[in-house]
Amino acid sequence: MEAKIVVTDLTKTFRLSKKQQRIERTTESVKVAVDHLSFEAYQGEIFGLLGPNGAGKTTTLRCISTLIKADSGDIYVDGHGVRNEETEIRKRIGFLTSDLKLEEFFTPNYLFDYFARLHSVDPETAAARKADLFGKFGIDRFAEVKVGELSTGMRQKVQIALALIHDPGVIVFDEPTNGLDILTAKVVTDYLRELRDAGKAIIISTHIFSLVEKICDRVGIIVNGKLKWCKPLADVKASGTDLEQLFFDLVAEESREDSR
Amino acid sequence: MNAIWTIFKKEWDRVIKDKRLVLSVMLLPGLMIFLIYSIMGNVISDFTAQEPGQVAIVNPSAGFTALYSTPVWGEDENGDPVIVFEEKADVIAISVAEAQTYRDRIDAGDWDLLIVFPENLEADLAPGYQANIEVYHNQNETQSATVQSRFSGYLTVYAELLRQTVYGETDVLMLQTDSVEYDDEKAMGMMMSTLLPMLVVMFLFSGAMSIGPESIAGEKERGTMATLLIMPVKRSEIALGKVLSLSVLALISALSSFLGIISSLPKMMGMEVSQVLAIYDFADLALMLVLLFSTVFVIVGLVAVVSAFSKSLKEAGTLIMPLYLITIVIGITSMFSEGAVSGWWFYLLPMYNTVQSLTAILLSDSLAPWYVLITVAANLAVTAGLVYLLTRMFHSEKIMFAK
Repeated sequence: MEAKIVVTDLTKTFRLSKKQQRIERTTESVKVAVDHLSFEAYQGEIFGLLGPNGAGKTTTLRCISTLIKADSGDIYVDGHGVRNEETEIRKRIGFLTSDLKLEEFFTPNYLFDYFARLHSVDPETAAARKADLFGKFGIDRFAEVKVGELSTGMRQKVQIALALIHDPGVIVFDEPTNGLDILTAKVVTDYLRELRDAGKAIIISTHIFSLVEKICDRVGIIVNGKLKWCKPLADVKASGTDLEQLFFDLVAEESREDSR
Repeated sequence: MNAIWTIFKKEWDRVIKDKRLVLSVMLLPGLMIFLIYSIMGNVISDFTAQEPGQVAIVNPSAGFTALYSTPVWGEDENGDPVIVFEEKADVIAISVAEAQTYRDRIDAGDWDLLIVFPENLEADLAPGYQANIEVYHNQNETQSATVQSRFSGYLTVYAELLRQTVYGETDVLMLQTDSVEYDDEKAMGMMMSTLLPMLVVMFLFSGAMSIGPESIAGEKERGTMATLLIMPVKRSEIALGKVLSLSVLALISALSSFLGIISSLPKMMGMEVSQVLAIYDFADLALMLVLLFSTVFVIVGLVAVVSAFSKSLKEAGTLIMPLYLITIVIGITSMFSEGAVSGWWFYLLPMYNTVQSLTAILLSDSLAPWYVLITVAANLAVTAGLVYLLTRMFHSEKIMFAK
């Protein structure tokens, strides 16, 4: 299988303001969000980044999608490096995170056309994709309703449709089912499987064990910015434990190492 | 190019498709100015029209009285219709001996005007005859000054009438008041040049202020900017698309304000719109438009950079306010200067160059095109710098994702 995303020795730090230092109860002015992370994600698989809040999952995904820059290390998406080929990566990636919002004033229909133009998708292809994605997620009935008036679930569906306008080969979803009701969550997870079967490379981040067990082919467990485990999901079961137990063991191990 | 146009169109739609924004950005500025100035104009004219003015005249002649009186049909003692003159001011005839009393009353502010004609002026009129006429008023009293200026007009006309009687004698009437040759065009130009530059930069700025922060700081705060930043378009294209669309919108907003002023002028100053426009030809208007466009770029660039730097809409508003105040202060400089400054380097300073160039155009300064040329070049260079800065800021995650 071809590695579509290659992350090598990725490190990202943030400077903490005095206020943030108080909140985090630390005297350190720099926080290491991602600490020498390396992993790969292949074509036709769903790779899950599992970790507690603040572990560095979202930061990693934001680095991959070129929203922020890594301090050191390299990331290649479909053979293009984040350091010099940001635009090439953005053309090939569909990124979805709660940080990215839609303008509430506009309708899904308007926004689809707008983002299609920014992605240089020709009008005919855009129209066909719009019909397909809006139909699949049931957005068509709300196509002319302002985003601000849509329910959270419908808004999330619109965001997914917009992230896939340009039919990207690599899909990066941060917490794909967060805030969704169970029916919408199922639509989303079913669609992720469908995309995987269509040969896309997919990375999701989550802290929900059941979601990883349900849809991921491989899992990377990230604690305190460090990748503690990165293997196929089948290996977890083969090691005679379950994902939840493995996760808590790794958190405990990291906590011991950290206090040393 | 395509991306710039796409972003331009989205920013444009954001305003045009929102009835509230269309109202507040495009219609309200003009409407508010029209209403405020019209009301101000009405109050001023009501104030000046309150009293007709009290005038005392020594030896009033029939010819002069007729000038400030309205002819109406009346009846003579036999009941036959006859033209009589209805006086528009409270004018009384007094004797030479009483004149000093009225001078004192004018000094005290309880009388407006005293005019002293020589005895038998019209009867003695002959070629070579010169008459001295004393006009006395109190410059510190608005009412007195208003009445004086009205009666000076009558006196000028009266002098003209007398001249005709003595066949071309030009110095038949000597007025003992200083009178300045009145030049309509120059006076209008002076008035426009002191007031307009300040108003124009204020309107351009407030237009940019009403939409700029929303389009950049607002998008940052709501997280929609991040959505735009992961698009496969250059950050410079995003910056240009936003600056161009905001400039056009700010210009429309400023034009709305401008129309408000122009249409309120008849009530404000007692001038007709056509009078104002007649002073300036097409070349002047074209120069003004080029000047305004280049200025709006600078203002929008400034507002955009400050907005991009701000973490929230509220912070952007707070940070832009000092810039707005500085702009107004620069605008006010035109009020205290006699014409435009002549050193070319002054036209390199953004905002100040707009105010001075506009003054030059309004006063029909022959160097105005050169001033405008330097101003536009300087403004475009500054705008390019600001767009570059904005692009750098869009690249900076510290600025774009600051919490």
